[in-house]
Amino acid sequence: MSTAVLHTEKLCKTFSSGGFQQHVIKNLDIEIREKDFTVIMGSSGSGKSTLLYALSGMDKPSLGKVFFGSEDISGLSNDALAVFRRKNCGFVFQSIYLLENMTVFDNVMTGALVAQKNSAELVKKAEQLLEKVGIKKECWNKYPNQLSGGECQRVGIVRAVINDPKILFADEPTGSLNSASSRDVLDIFTELHNKGQSIVMVTHDVKTALRGNRVIFLSDGTISGEYEMPKYGTDDIKKRRDGLQDFLDRMGW
Amino acid sequence: MGKIVRLSWANIKKHKLETIALVILISLCMLLMSSSLEGINGLKTIFPNMMKNTESYENYMLITESSYDKEYENILSSDERVEKCAVSELLYSMSTNYLDANDKEQALYMAFITEDNDEKFEKLKIETTLSDAEIADIAHPIYMPYDAEASLNCKVGDKFDMVYGTRRFSFTVAGFYDTVLFDSTGGGLKMIVSDEDYHVLESVLTKYALFAYNDGQGKGGIKLFNEMLDAFEDYSNLDVQSGCIGIVYDGIKSGVEATVDILMKIMIAMAVIIIISVVIMIRFRIAGDIKDQIVSIGVLEALGYTSRNITFSYVIEYLIISVVGILIGTGGCFVISPVLFRVGEIMSGHHMYGSVKALPILIPAAGILLFVFLIAYVRANMVKKYPPVRALRKGLKDHRFGKERFPLRDTKNNVHLRLAMKGFVKNFKQNIGLTVCITISSIAIVFSFIMFNFFSGGMNAIAMSAGMEMSNLRVELMNSADAYEFAAEIEQMPEVRKATPTSGISKMLKLVECNEFMFPMAFRDFKDTENIFPVQGRFPEHDNELMITNLCARIENINVGDSVTLDYLNVKRKYIVTGIVTCLTNGGINIYLTEDGMKRIIPTYSPDTVEVYLKDGVNAEEFRYMLTKEYGRSISDISDDDNSSGSYEERIKAEAERQIADIMASCGATHIEYAIQSGDTVIKGNSSGFVINSIMNIGDIMDTQLSALAKAISIVTTLFMILSAVVVMIIIFILMESSIRRQRKEFGIMKGMGYTSKELMLQLAFRIMPAALFSVVIGTFVGVAAVSIITGFVGKISINMPAVIAMDIVFLLFCFGCAYIGARKIKKISVYELMTE
Repeated sequence: MSTAVLHTEKLCKTFSSGGFQQHVIKNLDIEIREKDFTVIMGSSGSGKSTLLYALSGMDKPSLGKVFFGSEDISGLSNDALAVFRRKNCGFVFQSIYLLENMTVFDNVMTGALVAQKNSAELVKKAEQLLEKVGIKKECWNKYPNQLSGGECQRVGIVRAVINDPKILFADEPTGSLNSASSRDVLDIFTELHNKGQSIVMVTHDVKTALRGNRVIFLSDGTISGEYEMPKYGTDDIKKRRDGLQDFLDRMGW
Repeated sequence: MGKIVRLSWANIKKHKLETIALVILISLCMLLMSSSLEGINGLKTIFPNMMKNTESYENYMLITESSYDKEYENILSSDERVEKCAVSELLYSMSTNYLDANDKEQALYMAFITEDNDEKFEKLKIETTLSDAEIADIAHPIYMPYDAEASLNCKVGDKFDMVYGTRRFSFTVAGFYDTVLFDSTGGGLKMIVSDEDYHVLESVLTKYALFAYNDGQGKGGIKLFNEMLDAFEDYSNLDVQSGCIGIVYDGIKSGVEATVDILMKIMIAMAVIIIISVVIMIRFRIAGDIKDQIVSIGVLEALGYTSRNITFSYVIEYLIISVVGILIGTGGCFVISPVLFRVGEIMSGHHMYGSVKALPILIPAAGILLFVFLIAYVRANMVKKYPPVRALRKGLKDHRFGKERFPLRDTKNNVHLRLAMKGFVKNFKQNIGLTVCITISSIAIVFSFIMFNFFSGGMNAIAMSAGMEMSNLRVELMNSADAYEFAAEIEQMPEVRKATPTSGISKMLKLVECNEFMFPMAFRDFKDTENIFPVQGRFPEHDNELMITNLCARIENINVGDSVTLDYLNVKRKYIVTGIVTCLTNGGINIYLTEDGMKRIIPTYSPDTVEVYLKDGVNAEEFRYMLTKEYGRSISDISDDDNSSGSYEERIKAEAERQIADIMASCGATHIEYAIQSGDTVIKGNSSGFVINSIMNIGDIMDTQLSALAKAISIVTTLFMILSAVVVMIIIFILMESSIRRQRKEFGIMKGMGYTSKELMLQLAFRIMPAALFSVVIGTFVGVAAVSIITGFVGKISINMPAVIAMDIVFLLFCFGCAYIGARKIKKISVYELMTE
């Protein structure tokens, strides 16, 4: 069993609007283990994305604590959380969110240079990663609106992992992609996981969830169930799919 | 129309802060423009009303009694250009002081005249709170020009002490009046005193014949004035020009209006700066807004709004903002204008008869509305380029194929600086507008700072450009006294550091090329001077050399090496210009030549004035008192001495001195000694106590004449700097606000990557710095050049470049600070909200 890189204690997240309060996450205790590919699933409004952003320090919990290792990050200021994110986290978003006024290469370097000083090694690493995810050299100086959605998301992944984050967070990374592009992107995630990258991914897509080795099902802001699988590619894919489907059925998916 | 206004209103509500900033700028602009126009309007009433109320003559010529001839009046009246003339007399001195509220002597040129003599050339309308009976009870009543009330803070019933040498003359202020001649503390105040007091003063002060004449509202001008002096000299063969004081119609007019006029023009200049900034801001804001809201515009167009409707919604938005700004500015104008009127009264020394009029408010209001309408219409018209489908597709896709500037792979140290530079290049067009705004403001700031720095540096800075010796005391000797002997004698005194004989201002020489009478400053050797610096060329060394002032050189285009002609009583001599001197005093009409140079044109010339430089720590006033007591006796002193008591020897001495005074005054004796034997005692004495005619404390005179001006300039330039800084601050705030709104998503993504709010604020702040740096450099060059050009005619205003550079750095830091604080809204961008929206 690998050690916990992230865990929460009675995590709550409440949204207030016009005197109306909505408790999205309720007293949730969760543990994210090192080198795991954790997939968070649940129906719409179950609090998946809210949980992801609370875990990653993008948002502060209303109550409860989030521990990164032994450090409680729930009380940190916004700027301290930003520093925490740059050191420890990588993000891949459904809407990709590349900086439209920067070239592909600069998008990657913007992510890199916030955490580390520029060096020949860093530039080389960026180039290698881009090549690895299939972004050809001639695209490096292009702007995001000159690339396809799949290409953009691959650039987004490179930007997320360039700093070797302790955890890679992904929020529906294939949500806006076609099936071919989705597969390419998921292959990258699998490869990263195989190399030991801890990943937390939110998805409502079973095919995507199959890439993980641990599925946590959220329902109404609490964990309804958890399902463990072997690493992707090490077992029979049909058995894997059936097993997961069975779990999801039990969860009322 | 209603739907368009609704659109405009929605836009205003959306950009509340930017709207408020624009309203502030337009209010300021309106306030400055309308108040200054009201001020100028009111100012224009001063001169005609003053001339009308006082029924004053248009030109005045004061000639010393010794140069006066009765025939002058006939010569003057017989000239066909002279419509009417009058002759009167008054007493005038530049060596008079008065005691201020703290009983400290302050220099003030003063003229004294009787009521009858004054009424010969102006209608006297005295304002007083005292009854005739109360005035009759006053032993020594004095009536003063309005300026005494404003500048010296005198009130009816106050005591007013005039000091001349060691003597004090006490008066009681009985009232104030409006006058044209000697109406301000700068040029001197004309006091009306009783006949008895006038007679007492007559024995002390120089008497002048006063010629007043009309020449069709200045048609004759200075030409007629000079021709008359020439005609008087031709008739009498006397030196009329030396010691002659005159003021012509245009001089009176500009003297009344000039200072306040400058103030008003500075205010208008400031308003112009603001309106340019406003126009640029509106232009870029509309362009940015259209780009931001292009999809909404597409939706509106799809709903049936025409591009004309949308264009006018922008125009109306800015017209609404302008109207609000104009209304606030107009309200301010009603508050500020009376204050400006009062400032005008204080600075001119006359009553202002203006009231707030509609036209000075309507003109700038219409101007602002027109400007705003035009720029908003032209800029908003770009909506036409976006038909609905194109607008819904966010206009043209932002494809870029140009060269990538500042690629991050080349980042050396600071990624934030590099990202800021990328941002600067990306927003280049917007930065052009910012650059124009900051450049204009920095020109204003640099110009104001140089003037402020110069004038707030106390009298020392001004003295450096005075173009005359700034000794502690300027001692004018009796005609008979030998300046070198006197200088050598007082140099022995422990308090004196140096004493240098010079020419004083009793004689004037005409510089033919300028057709202007100049004050000669003659020194045996200019190396003895401490405050006369040629800005070009060198000191005169030979008898055919002289230096002229910057003003004279510029106006007449005379350069070093040129030959000029001096004229004294029709004797003409040519001189070579060896140098050019900055001269802020005497209206810039000094010439500088050696004693031999003076003798070349006035063979009988000998120095009659001594510049006395005291050692550090010596009190000039105390020394002046001591010097006056020792050497400054006059016939009037002697006649006032009560020597009926005292010892026999004292009475003998007193009588001997009376005889000496009489002989010196009537026979022009230069040195008298006496010895009287009385029994075994020999009573001895000489005329050494009758050497000094008058003593001027140069520092005090400079203070009286220039400190008020220096203070006014310091205040105006400070206000100018503050206003410019406020304009820059508002512009930067607006820019930051719109940048953050436009790049909200980008900043959210960067926050998600781990960029802190502070880092992003720094990036945004650094982004404007190239524009600010460029603007400040250009602003400094232009500001310095403007100071040189504008002040070049008077003299060279010394520019403290290190201080200017320090101010530039402070200004840049200020811009950076404003941008940093203006970018604080980045803190409010929530990554989470952005990701989940």
